[in-house]
Amino acid sequence: MRHKPADTARQFAALSRRSTLAIFRQPAIIAPSLIFPLFFAALGSSSFSRAISLPGFPQVDSYLQFTLAGTVTQGVLFGSVTGAAALATDIEEGFFDRLLAAPTSRTSILFGRLAGSSVFGGLQALIFLLALLPFGVTVQAGVLGYVSIVLAGFLTAFGVGALMSVVALKTGSAEAVQGTFPILFILLFLSSAFFPRETMSGAYRRIADFNPISYMVEGQRSLSIDGASLTAMTQTLVIPTGIAVLTTMLALRQLSVRLAAR
Amino acid sequence: MTTTRSVGILATRSVRTIRRLPSAFFPALAMPIFNMVVFAGTFFAITQIPNFPTDRSINWYMPLGIMMGAAFGGVGLGFTTIRDIETGFYDRLRMSPTSRLSLILGPLTGTLIRVLLMTTLVIVIGIVLGARFTGGLLGVLCLYISALGIATTGAGWGLGLAFKFKDMRGAAIMQLSIFLVMFLSSAQVPLEVMSGWLHTVARINPATNILRLARVGLVNESSADYLSWNAIWGGLVAVVVMSVLCLGFALRNLQKLSD
Repeated sequence: MRHKPADTARQFAALSRRSTLAIFRQPAIIAPSLIFPLFFAALGSSSFSRAISLPGFPQVDSYLQFTLAGTVTQGVLFGSVTGAAALATDIEEGFFDRLLAAPTSRTSILFGRLAGSSVFGGLQALIFLLALLPFGVTVQAGVLGYVSIVLAGFLTAFGVGALMSVVALKTGSAEAVQGTFPILFILLFLSSAFFPRETMSGAYRRIADFNPISYMVEGQRSLSIDGASLTAMTQTLVIPTGIAVLTTMLALRQLSVRLAAR
Repeated sequence: MTTTRSVGILATRSVRTIRRLPSAFFPALAMPIFNMVVFAGTFFAITQIPNFPTDRSINWYMPLGIMMGAAFGGVGLGFTTIRDIETGFYDRLRMSPTSRLSLILGPLTGTLIRVLLMTTLVIVIGIVLGARFTGGLLGVLCLYISALGIATTGAGWGLGLAFKFKDMRGAAIMQLSIFLVMFLSSAQVPLEVMSGWLHTVARINPATNILRLARVGLVNESSADYLSWNAIWGGLVAVVVMSVLCLGFALRNLQKLSD
């Protein structure tokens, strides 16, 4: 069935609104992805306050300033599972089938779900930036830096949400989506989210060197510590965009496979 | 049936699940190894901070991995008990002619055997990755005692909450409380290195003493904690007091469950 662009846009807006509201109506689900990154930031600021003078650490006033980018990325990664888990729940409960039975654009079903978690990702980034502001943690790149980090939160949540949607569409199980959570945890730890790559060694350092999350975090960190630069902006925005494009293609492909199997 | 026999049967049941359901035991083994590797790898340079008690990050974070694994292994008994309560199996156990004490000591023994296995595996992998016991066999013994102690504490706490809540609400409290107790201690860095609010909290947190005991045989010989009686007795007292309090909490709630 062909859909007029205006209809598709209307359907996308309605489904996006539904998924966004659904996230904010379940505070118990979103609270951990807001509380835990801030807890770890507070923990790190007390634990690693003396580590900032180690060789390899950038010039920062506090560990909190260093860890801002890691906190944002950690929260967004953990929160982005919510949208895909909701998509799997839609499949489990039959709502997905009812949407397919209705004259709804197929891509709107997927993008509508991802919109909710993406908006939440951007909001999370903003909350972390504002929550750390009273502790002297600022973004040296100014308004451009704040906007870029919030946008990076949006894009990262979209990209990771799309990746998780592949699992949701393949398995149709919210439990399976939640089960992939440790992979995000591992990816985050095997990056420079909490300590600079320059302080790591051996195989661990090489893994962090290959991990795109390292570069994404370092872009945001550079905006926060050094100010605006083309490299920092590219790392902050282009890497999550690239991830989002790649994972969206995978998710659309998995959606086609699921539709073809019906 | 005597208490000893009941304890043996219930412990065997707990250990048998390792063979029957290895997929359930796997995360309990993987998590401490993962924690050890990522903490030691990420915070590799932390040992360069002046007065850090060891020059190998793996020596500092191997005990953390084991303690986290042991603590969560302990509270895992609470999860199993909640499932047994929900399926009605626990009612059948309570109606059997066994002492209330054996309903706690039996599964606890099974849990401690699992923790022993986990601790041994993590130590072997830790040594392969570069960990060295500067304190020799006494250091190894202290690490095992700490692991078993924190597992007993976790198990008592988990069982007490399982008997109190009788459903998965208890599981969330178990996980969160153990997580907070473990991290609000000298888990990541020694007391001398930390600052601010965490130093104040960690100083009065008994988990700090248990971690000190776990690390006495892994720190440098020049460190004040190296096989020091001060660190050992502080850890032993913390292990005994926490275990007694948490097992008492479990027994009290089991009795209330029976009432």
